[in-house]
Amino acid sequence: MFHFRLDAGSGVPPYLQLVHQVRQAVLLGFLQPGDRLPLIREVVETLAINPNTVAKAYRQLEQEALVTGRPGSGTFVNEATAKTMSPATYSALRRGLESWLRRAYTAGLDEHAVNALFATVHHQTRIEEAA
Amino acid sequence: MTGNEQALATEGLGKRYGKKWALRGCTLALPAGKVIALVGPNGAGKTTLLRMAVGLVAPTVGTVEVFGQSPTENSPQALSRVGFLAQDHPLYRHFTVADLLRFGRSCNVRFDEGLALKRLSQLDIPLNRRAGALSGGQQAQVALALALAKRPDLLVLDEPLASLDPLARLEFQQTLMGAVAADGVTVLFSSHVVHELKQVCDHLVVLNHGHVAVQGDIDDLLGQHRLLTGPRVETGPRKSGSVIEANHADRHSTLLVRDGRTALLPGWQEQPVALEELVLAYLRRGIDQEATV
Amino acid sequence: MTWLIWRQHRAEALALVVLIAAIGAALVIVGQPMHDLFPNGASRCVPPTTDRACIVGLATLQQSYDFAAPMLALLNFVPLAIGAFLGAPLLARELELGTWQLAWTQAVPRMRWLAAKLVALAGLTVALGAAFTGAVAWFRQPLDLFGRFDITGFDLSGIVPMAYGLFAFAIAALAGALLRRSLPAYATAIVVFVTVRIAVATWLRPQFRAPITLTQEIPPGSRELRLAAKPLDWNLGEGFADASGKHFSELSSTIWEHKATDAGIDPATYLHEHGILRWITYHPADRLAGFQLIESTLYVGLAALLLALLVWRVKRRAL
Repeated sequence: MFHFRLDAGSGVPPYLQLVHQVRQAVLLGFLQPGDRLPLIREVVETLAINPNTVAKAYRQLEQEALVTGRPGSGTFVNEATAKTMSPATYSALRRGLESWLRRAYTAGLDEHAVNALFATVHHQTRIEEAA
Repeated sequence: MTGNEQALATEGLGKRYGKKWALRGCTLALPAGKVIALVGPNGAGKTTLLRMAVGLVAPTVGTVEVFGQSPTENSPQALSRVGFLAQDHPLYRHFTVADLLRFGRSCNVRFDEGLALKRLSQLDIPLNRRAGALSGGQQAQVALALALAKRPDLLVLDEPLASLDPLARLEFQQTLMGAVAADGVTVLFSSHVVHELKQVCDHLVVLNHGHVAVQGDIDDLLGQHRLLTGPRVETGPRKSGSVIEANHADRHSTLLVRDGRTALLPGWQEQPVALEELVLAYLRRGIDQEATV
Repeated sequence: MTWLIWRQHRAEALALVVLIAAIGAALVIVGQPMHDLFPNGASRCVPPTTDRACIVGLATLQQSYDFAAPMLALLNFVPLAIGAFLGAPLLARELELGTWQLAWTQAVPRMRWLAAKLVALAGLTVALGAAFTGAVAWFRQPLDLFGRFDITGFDLSGIVPMAYGLFAFAIAALAGALLRRSLPAYATAIVVFVTVRIAVATWLRPQFRAPITLTQEIPPGSRELRLAAKPLDWNLGEGFADASGKHFSELSSTIWEHKATDAGIDPATYLHEHGILRWITYHPADRLAGFQLIESTLYVGLAALLLALLVWRVKRRAL
C-alpha cells in the first residue's frame, strides 16, 4: 500500500504535497498501473488531515489522467499515460542538481539565496515555455 | 448533501453579559460538509459563539440557525442534529465509560452505541474505568465518541486540542478527520493556535474583540491575498479595503493586499502569504481599528 | 433520564437512606422502654388522669427521659440535611465541572432535564422526610402527653418536616445555581435555613392566630397564685397585672409573689386585697393541626418561589 507523508513546515499546500508524491511515485515506477491508492479515509486516519484535502488531491490527479476513481472500489493508477522515468535518469538529474548546489554554496550563496534564485529561474522558464 | 447548504448561519448575532459585549454584529454563513476553524485570541468571543450555535446560550440580539433550525428553541430535533464538545471535554468523572455510554443512550433518541464502542475499543479505552481515571487524551476521545455517536450533522468543538499532548492531539485529529471522511459531518472548532490548521480545515473564521475580522474558504483566502514588497510608499488609506496591513521600513514597504489584481509597478515583488501571517495581520488590524475608534 | 438521575444522585440518596434508617433504629432502641412505661398505650394516659399506672408512667417518663428533648431538638437538622444534600449538587456540580454543557447538548431539552430532576429529587426529599417524621411520631407518642407545641414536637411532626425539607432543597438548589459550587451552596443553605426557621418559629408562628388571653381576679384562699396552662396548650406567658389589667413584667410578678408569701397572711388574699389580677396568654391544644398546616404552607410556598426563580434562571440561560 502506498504511504503518504506530510511536511507541515514546507509551505506547500497539503493537497499539492499529496499530488506531488503520487506524481513522483508514478514517475519512478513505485506506483504501477492498476495499483490502488489508499482510500480517502485511510489517508485521513493516518495523516490526521481533512478528507476534503485528500479528495481535492485525488480530483487533481484524475484531471491529470494519472489515476481513475472507480466508485465503490477505489482510486487506481492508469495505464502508462504519464511518462515514466527510469531510476537511472532520475538519479542522473539528481546528481546534476547536487553538483550545481555545491557550486552555488562554494560561490557564497546561502540557503535562502539558492531558493530565491531557483524560484526566479523556475518562474521565468515556465513563463517562457508558456509563451 | 447539497453543495450550497448552510450548516450555520448567523445574522447580526450578539451576546452581552452585563455591560460587556462578548460578541457583536456577527454575520456568518458556514457551508455544510466542511471543516471550519474559528480562530481568535482568548476572549474574542469564540466560546460564546459556539455556545449559541448549540443552544446553550441565547443571543441578546440577532439570529442563529443550524441547518435552518434555531438552536435557541432547544427542541429535541435541533439538539439531535448537533454534537458539542466543550472546552476541557467535561465528563461525569465518577461515571465509568460504560455509564457514559448509557448516559448517551438514555438522553438521545438517536445514539449509535455500536459506533462509540468500536471507536473506544480501537483506542483500547477500558469500559469499566472511571472517566476521572483516564488520561486527558482518553477523556477527550471518550467525549468525542459520545458526541459522534449522536451522529450529528454539525459537530462543534471548543478548543479541542488545547489541553492535549502532541500524541493525543494527533490521535484526536485522526479520529475526528476519520469521522468527517466516514459520515461527512460538518465540523466547527475553535482554536487560538493557527499552527496546523491548514492540514485540517477548509474554511476559516477569524474573530477578534467580539467581531468577525475575516471569513472564507482557506484556499480562496490564500489566493486572494498577496504580500507586496517595494520602495517605501506613504501610508495608503487604511480603510480602502484592499490594503490589510502595511509595514514601512526606511526604504521599502511591505503591504498585505486583498484582491490586488492590478499590475505591479516597477520595483515591486509579490509573494503568496502564509495562513498564519494572514490571520495575524487581521488580528492586528482589529486591535488598531478598535484603538482608533 | 430516570437512570441518569439515579446514577448521578445515588450516592447522596443512599447516604440519606442510611442516615434516616440509623435515626429510625436509634429511636426504636431508645423509645421502646419509653413505650413500655404505658402498657395500655400512651394515648389513654392524657393528663389529667387518675389511672395509677398512667401516673406512675408519666412520673418515670419525666424523671428518666429528660435527655429526649435535647435529642429530639437536634433532629431538627435532619430535614435541612435531606434537602440540602439533594438540592445543592443538582446544578452546582454540573456548573463546577462544566458538565452542564454535556448534559444540555444531548437530545433532552434543558427544561425537561430540569423538570425531571426537580420532580425526582424533590419527591425523594418528601419521601425521606415522611419516613423520618414517621419514626419521630412513633417515638414521641409518650412525650406527646407533655404537649406538642415546642421545638421537639411541632417542628418534627405532621407534614411540617417535609415542608422544611423542600425549603432546604430549594435554597440549596438555587444557591448552587447562583454560586456555581457545591460547598458554598451547602453553607448558604444552612445559614438561610436556620435564620428563617428561627425567625418564623419565634416571631411569626405565635401570631398565626390571635392568642387567647385570660385575665381574672385571684380568688382569696386559692392555693395556686398564678394561672397554669392546660398540659397540651401552648403557653405564651403568664403573670400578674394591676387592677386596670396592665401586665407586669416577669420581674415585677416575681416580686409581688415574694411580697405575698412574706406578708404573713394567705398570699392569695394578700394579692386580692392589693387589687392584683392574674393573666395567661396561650394557644389552645386544638390549634396544633391548623398551625402546622399554616407553617407547612408557608415553607412549601417559599420553596415554590425559590424553585420558580431557579427555573427562570436556567431558562433564560444566564448561567
